[in-house]
Parts: sequence; structure tokens; C-alpha cells
Amino acid sequence: MLDIETIDSILAKFPQTKGNLIAILHEVQNHYRYLPEEELRYISKRTGVPITQIYSIVNFYNRFSLKPKGKHVICVCLGTACHVKGAEKVINEVKMKLNIDVGETTDDMKFTLEEVRCIGACSLAPAVVVDEKTYGKVTPKEMSSILAKYNKE
Amino acid sequence: MASKVNITIDGRQIQAPEGMTVLEVAKKEGIFIPTLCYLDALEPEGTCRLCIVEVSGSIRHSIRVSCIQEVREGLIVETNTERIQRNRRVLMELLLARTPYSKELLDLAKKIGVVTSRFHAEEFDDCVRCGRCVRVCRDQIGAHALCWVNRGYQRTVTTDFDRLSEYCIGCGSCVQVCPTGALKMEDRGNERIIYKWGQILARFKLEKCSKCGKPFAPRKYLEHMARKVYKPRGQELAEIVCPECARKVERRPFPAPEFPVGKTPFGF
Repeated sequence: MLDIETIDSILAKFPQTKGNLIAILHEVQNHYRYLPEEELRYISKRTGVPITQIYSIVNFYNRFSLKPKGKHVICVCLGTACHVKGAEKVINEVKMKLNIDVGETTDDMKFTLEEVRCIGACSLAPAVVVDEKTYGKVTPKEMSSILAKYNKE
Repeated sequence: MASKVNITIDGRQIQAPEGMTVLEVAKKEGIFIPTLCYLDALEPEGTCRLCIVEVSGSIRHSIRVSCIQEVREGLIVETNTERIQRNRRVLMELLLARTPYSKELLDLAKKIGVVTSRFHAEEFDDCVRCGRCVRVCRDQIGAHALCWVNRGYQRTVTTDFDRLSEYCIGCGSCVQVCPTGALKMEDRGNERIIYKWGQILARFKLEKCSKCGKPFAPRKYLEHMARKVYKPRGQELAEIVCPECARKVERRPFPAPEFPVGKTPFGF
């Protein structure tokens, strides 16, 4: 369902210039946790940016998602340092516990698993970011307790 | 009058107006530089990188893409050195890796001395990602029906949300400018489809010619023409006539006189 009021209130925050598109998309993504197609088409109509261009941008940046994401987004760092420190084991633990693959969301829409290359927290390797919170030196055992914690919420 | 700059291309002293690109100057002088993504009608984007040249003189000695390199006072350009040829061949081989059957590309490859590619992609499609179709749709037609999606190796041309495009007018410009024939357009009976490898981009019902009854153009295309071509001239789309019939009806001496108001002068 197209929620015009929400989009309008987001659009009202920004002056009507093309340069604000990314900021608008960020707000919309924060609200819905993904970018619904109908809303994007409406934004295109309101801002005058062609829908193909918006689609291109949304596809280009990894931050934007066209698929609904779970309530909690688990980002497991697979950068060099984390990889060496055993991030593979951590990500396998998540995969096994939640029964999902990278980029997928659990059926109850609670968790989405993502992998990132480096989050710049190599001293904390292996690092995991859940929503905005960063966990360092995560072992598979700790990972499952983190999952349990978020699962309760 | 733009001020002129002195440059040297392949040892020839050339005076070129400021703001021109190296490729444009070379073309004017009849110096061959292989190109793929470059098209006179479009803004250069420098995606195929076949038009690389070696530059020195007023800028650091380096390899630059000539279609987006503007001329400068004292620029020395070499278009066909050993180094350039070597680089070009590798680029061509990389392009051929994914497009091994495109005749146009193979012809160009032969010209620069490449017969087969060392590289082999897992999947073939004829697209070389030159972006001509996207640029023509966006800049020239203004329909904004095509766009790039994804990054790196997964990069492809598609429509919004990979659906049949609402914005496509069915003009077929993208098909016209495609250097490898990756985009195709077909009229089947009274239906027109524009498609690429594995995906139909747009589908149209064709309007019939009011004179001969042959289906020839999609409604959206006629409306677009009416808006872009006839309206500025103060004309309107009165009746739908296919180019062949228009030619028969309004056989005009050359050069064509001004079109009478209210008529549809197709077939100019």
C-alpha cells in the first residue's frame, strides 16, 4: 500500500532539488527498512527524477535494499583481519542458527544476514555489527548468545 | 570564435579549437582511432576505452581516453604506438570474452589485430556495456526508459524494476545505436517488441496507417513525435500515415518545402 502521507512528510523536509535524492531515499529506507517500489515511483513523480535513474541509484549502493529487511540486520565483517581471526566460523554459526544464507531474511522478518568487507574495526576482529551496535572479538558461542538476546526483544 | 590551440597528433601539427576532444580532432584530420562507445550524437562517456592514446607534452606522459580528453596547448598525441596497440589488444580481448559472436566487434578486432580472445566468460550476451542505448534514451529521446543496474561484472542494462517499460516509446533508437546488436527490435504482426538477451524490455501494439492499413508505429511514439516535432512548428498530429504512404502522398521536390499546417509529414 502506498503511504502518501509518510512520503510527503519526508519530502517536505528537503528542498525540491535533485541533489537531495539520496538523503530522501535514506529517510524512506529508515522508515520502511527497505525501499518499496510504489513509494519509489511516487518519489520519482514528485521530485521529477526519472524512475530508471532512481532504480539505478538504488541498485548501485549496497546500503539501499529493494527487498524487505528484517528487524535486526546482522553484518558480519569478512575483511582480511576478521577473516584471519575466524569470521567464517561466526557467519556459519549465524547461517546455521537462523537457517538463512547471506543476503536473506528469516521468515519471521526478525533477522537479515549481510556480509561486509571491512568496517574499519580490525582491532576488534572478528567484528559483527547488529543494527548500529558493534560487537568485537566475537566467537561462534558469543554470536549465538547475541542472537538469543535480539531474538527475545 | 573559440580560441585555437596547437597540438601534435602522430607528428602532424594541428590547430584545433579549444574545448574539442582529441578524438574529434583526430577524426577531422582523418586519423583513425578505433571506437566503440563513441557516437557523434551523444555525449562521450569513455566506457569502452578502445580509443586510448598516448599523450605527453603539456600534460604528464600517460595513456588517456581520447573521446573525453580535451585538447590543450602543446599537447602531443600518439595514436598508434607499440604500447597503445598492446593495451588496445588486451582491451579488445576482454570485450570479446563476453561477446565472442558479435560480427561488428569481430570486424573491429580484426582491424586492430585480434583474432580470438584468451579470456572466456561463463555466460555470453552480446552486450559490451558501452552505454550507448542508455545515453540515447536519456539524452536524445528523453524517455528515460533504460538504466544501468548492479555493479562490476553484474552490470547490465535494464528497465525500471526489470518490468516491461512504461516509459519506452518504442522508437528503437537504442536498437539503432547498439554497436553489437545486443538490443533487438521486432515487429510481429501488429505488435512491436524490444528485447535483449533473456529479457523483453518493452512491448507495443502498433497503430495502423490510415491510408494502407499496415501497422507501423506504436501510439506512444506518435504522441512523442507530435509533442517534440510538430508542436514546436505549430502543427498537430491529424492523421496517422506511415512513411511510405506519406512519401507517395506528399511527393515533394528537394529540398522539402515547409509542411502545411495540420498534415502529418511522415517520411522526411
